[in-house]
Amino acid sequence: MDLFMVVSLILIIAMLIAALVAAESRDLISAAIAMGVVSLIASILFYMLQAPDVAITEASIGAGLSLAIMIFAIKHTVRWEK
Amino acid sequence: MNWIDLSLSILGYIFIGIGSFFLLLASIGLLRMPDVYNRMQTATKATTLGALSVLFGVGLLNLHWMPKSMVIALFILLTAPVGASALARASYKSGIALWKGSVVDKYKEEKEEE
Amino acid sequence: MKRAVAAILAILIFIVLGLAFAKIPFGNVNLEDYHYYNPIQDKQTSDSVPAHYLKEGKNETGSTNIVTAVVVDYRGFDTLGEVTVLFLASTGVGSVMYIFEKEKRRKVRRANAVVETASKLLFGFIILFGAYIFVHGHLTPGGGFPGGAVIASSFLLLYLAYPKFHAEHKSLNVAESLAGLTFVGVGLIGLLVASYFLYNFLPFGLPTYLFSAGVIPIIYVAVGVKVGSELTGIVDAMMGVRE
Repeated sequence: MDLFMVVSLILIIAMLIAALVAAESRDLISAAIAMGVVSLIASILFYMLQAPDVAITEASIGAGLSLAIMIFAIKHTVRWEK
Repeated sequence: MNWIDLSLSILGYIFIGIGSFFLLLASIGLLRMPDVYNRMQTATKATTLGALSVLFGVGLLNLHWMPKSMVIALFILLTAPVGASALARASYKSGIALWKGSVVDKYKEEKEEE
Repeated sequence: MKRAVAAILAILIFIVLGLAFAKIPFGNVNLEDYHYYNPIQDKQTSDSVPAHYLKEGKNETGSTNIVTAVVVDYRGFDTLGEVTVLFLASTGVGSVMYIFEKEKRRKVRRANAVVETASKLLFGFIILFGAYIFVHGHLTPGGGFPGGAVIASSFLLLYLAYPKFHAEHKSLNVAESLAGLTFVGVGLIGLLVASYFLYNFLPFGLPTYLFSAGVIPIIYVAVGVKVGSELTGIVDAMMGVRE
């Protein structure tokens, strides 16, 4: 068990927790932010697996733009899931 | 390795140590502070200082990295306070109350003056 | 009850998928065991496709970033398709949100003075960074898609800081159409010069220099401008104020 394995295991567990929060949360804005966290950790994992191109794309689109667009969509509709 | 390189790298490691100490303090403060605004303060002030110190230390370790790390430090200095102020203002406007022990609320005073 | 059943089903599906993918070797394949017909060299080789890209990619395309070589040169037609998909998505969002926006106008509230000043300062730097990402796409990691997304995020910053700001639709359309025309035009010139679409007809130059790799930088600049203007259009449709 080297350092790489430990760090990636921690990141994967954090990603799973964030994905669970995104699926279970009643507040859609916190669900969207949890989705952003999932994208951010995915981009860190891509960088650790030596795919910097995909990491840049994931960080800028997944964690930046799509999060913002989701929040605008939530602002146009309702915030709390029934 | 001559003595200039040696002393520079020792200095660099000292700066990295100081920076990581402040980052640790910031994360402890994030857990211990009572309300959003105090947490925001630790999460921006101490983190900015820690990140700047780590970047300066990394630049001292290898002088070729110094310009790049200084540019990164400049951008952290530009963006961190702005993000903190926007977050604090948004949470104030959405009605999150201050902690019981807070003594000053300049924003409210300014609103009342207007 | 339903949720528990669904969760158990999902876990079972994940286990089956994991078992299915467990036997696929990632990475350490013995390359000598495989034999392919390679149409470029016109002979049987033991090279697999990824090994061929890694070994010959730099000589065949002139690009030092092999990912860019695959995305723009070997699989350039796929990239055209992806850009088209993004264009269709942008058009769809624009048309839906236009109807939506007519009925209901957003309340305008001024942002913080700190945010306004800082976004004025940072806007140029972020645009510069996005342009750097796609101009250097054939040398360093990055390329048209992330560069365009960074440019769109700089416009997003302006939309957040200035509630009354909105991008000029006419110039967005002009930039987007010109970029698309450049992409297709370069491909058609390749079709005229050699006999296939997106042929790399310019000289390769020296590797690791900015002006190298033939048409790859031109196509990537076009992709960057196109993606940037499309994503800016989506952001504008989602939160623009029409007066």
